Amino acid sequence: MYEQTFSRANPGCIVFLLDRSDSMKQPWQSSGGTLAEGAARAVNKILLDLCVKSAKEVGGRARHYFDVGVFGYGACPVAGGEGVEPALGGQPIVPIPQVFDSPLRVEAPRGGPDDETVDAVAGSRLPVWIEPVFGYRTPMCQAIAAAGEHVYGWAANHPDSFPPIVINITDGMVTDSPYDGADLTEWAARLTSIETRDGRALLFNIFLSPRLAPEVLFPTTAAGLPEPGPDLFGISSVLPSSMVANARGARVEIADGARGFVFNAGLATLVWFLEIGTRVADVRDR
Amino acid sequence: MILACSTCFALEKQGSAPLEWEDAAAYHDGDPAAGVEPRFVVVDGATEAYDAIRWVEHLVASFVAHTGPAITHDALGVWFEQVQRLWAAEAPARFATVIERHKFLTEGSFATFLGCRLADLDGPGARWEAAALGDTVLFHIRDGRLLSHFPPIGVDEFGLSPAGVGTRPEALDPMLRDLELGAGEVRAGDVLFVATDALAQWLLVEAARDESSLWWALAALDHDAAFAAIVADQRAAGRLHNDDVTLLRVRLLTEAPGDLVMCL
Repeated sequence: MYEQTFSRANPGCIVFLLDRSDSMKQPWQSSGGTLAEGAARAVNKILLDLCVKSAKEVGGRARHYFDVGVFGYGACPVAGGEGVEPALGGQPIVPIPQVFDSPLRVEAPRGGPDDETVDAVAGSRLPVWIEPVFGYRTPMCQAIAAAGEHVYGWAANHPDSFPPIVINITDGMVTDSPYDGADLTEWAARLTSIETRDGRALLFNIFLSPRLAPEVLFPTTAAGLPEPGPDLFGISSVLPSSMVANARGARVEIADGARGFVFNAGLATLVWFLEIGTRVADVRDR
Repeated sequence: MILACSTCFALEKQGSAPLEWEDAAAYHDGDPAAGVEPRFVVVDGATEAYDAIRWVEHLVASFVAHTGPAITHDALGVWFEQVQRLWAAEAPARFATVIERHKFLTEGSFATFLGCRLADLDGPGARWEAAALGDTVLFHIRDGRLLSHFPPIGVDEFGLSPAGVGTRPEALDPMLRDLELGAGEVRAGDVLFVATDALAQWLLVEAARDESSLWWALAALDHDAAFAAIVADQRAAGRLHNDDVTLLRVRLLTEAPGDLVMCL
């Protein structure tokens, strides 16, 4: 299980659930800017990485190695009001060649040429797909439900692929549990019961905090986490052995049984977490 | 006098087109009259590498050329710098997108590497000398048994090594740090195989099960279709990881083969 590589015959599916609630306007002490800005930068960085992984030939388009989705929850900048809204051109699941071809804009790295979190190169301009947005409450259950519908359809159409990877980025308390008769834990269980022949869908959680506190990365226990950390830890999938092996191959220390969860990550750690959580094969230290 | 007689078999990953095979191999069986020693090389372009086919073709052609490097740390360090410079000099004049430019600048291309030369084949010190970065592996077979494999990687260690030949100048120090050198005495009748990672891992597993049958079968392989059938069977059985596969075979003989076999 969890051994399939990403290929055009068996592409991967990576879905982000992006908290766009009002509290995401709080400052990100460890990395500057707001939590919403940091989360958007991290998602843009991983979308860029997926595009870069899929760019193979000189002058060519990206190869269809991935399908990706970004679901914002909280403020809905297009429809207005509170809810859940696909944030990649209004489409729920998008082939990576389409992402490759349609950034919102291209801009200079915000941190300048010394910003290690964006692999900045002098003179390099980088694409942006996701904007920081915040407002309203935190309908996380509805986000899992909405994304789950599309993830279910994707898995049914890709039975031999690596199972879908869903990454939830949030700063706090879910405000819609129970939703439609099920609480957050039940919605998470429904999501992770979706499967391909290579395993069940994975749900990873990134718990951002405006407070200065030590980072907790890939823990094996919820001990010491502030609320709602234990709940988010509880719904986070155990990292499959293939991801653990890849991480260890890249010289990251991860214990057996570690969960796909991170608390209070700075931007560099957040990007690192996302790289580990979206990498399933072919680690190369370039 | 020992003579080298090399053959190469390869197959792309299932689901890819033949032109998307991103390994590469090259050999020069040497010319005893001219004092040219045999050299051979197999490289495996990383799945996510940029323009991997150009990089692997560039590496193998450069290694087996008469100007190819000696198997020493210093000579290979100079060669790595040379191939990186040539890669940069042949960069596209314009990139189609900022993503393509970003990939060229920040990641570039990357391949595992196993390069070998045969030395002193006319005397008692006949030997192979090899250099390796990553998990492409040389197997030294005598009388149907595995004498050694280089680098001495374990069955469970494939896919974990970050070592390889990269295009970025920043990769040079890690490459020299990770570079492994090895050597082994050879005799007429020995067979050397070089295999890329998925096949090399399978070879180690199969050798532990029934190595005599394995090595005799591979030594007798005489057609691409026969190789493709073995690979397809093992992939279907779930014993061979779906990846590009390459097997370079070097038979060590006392006289040139009498027959020329052509695969049609």
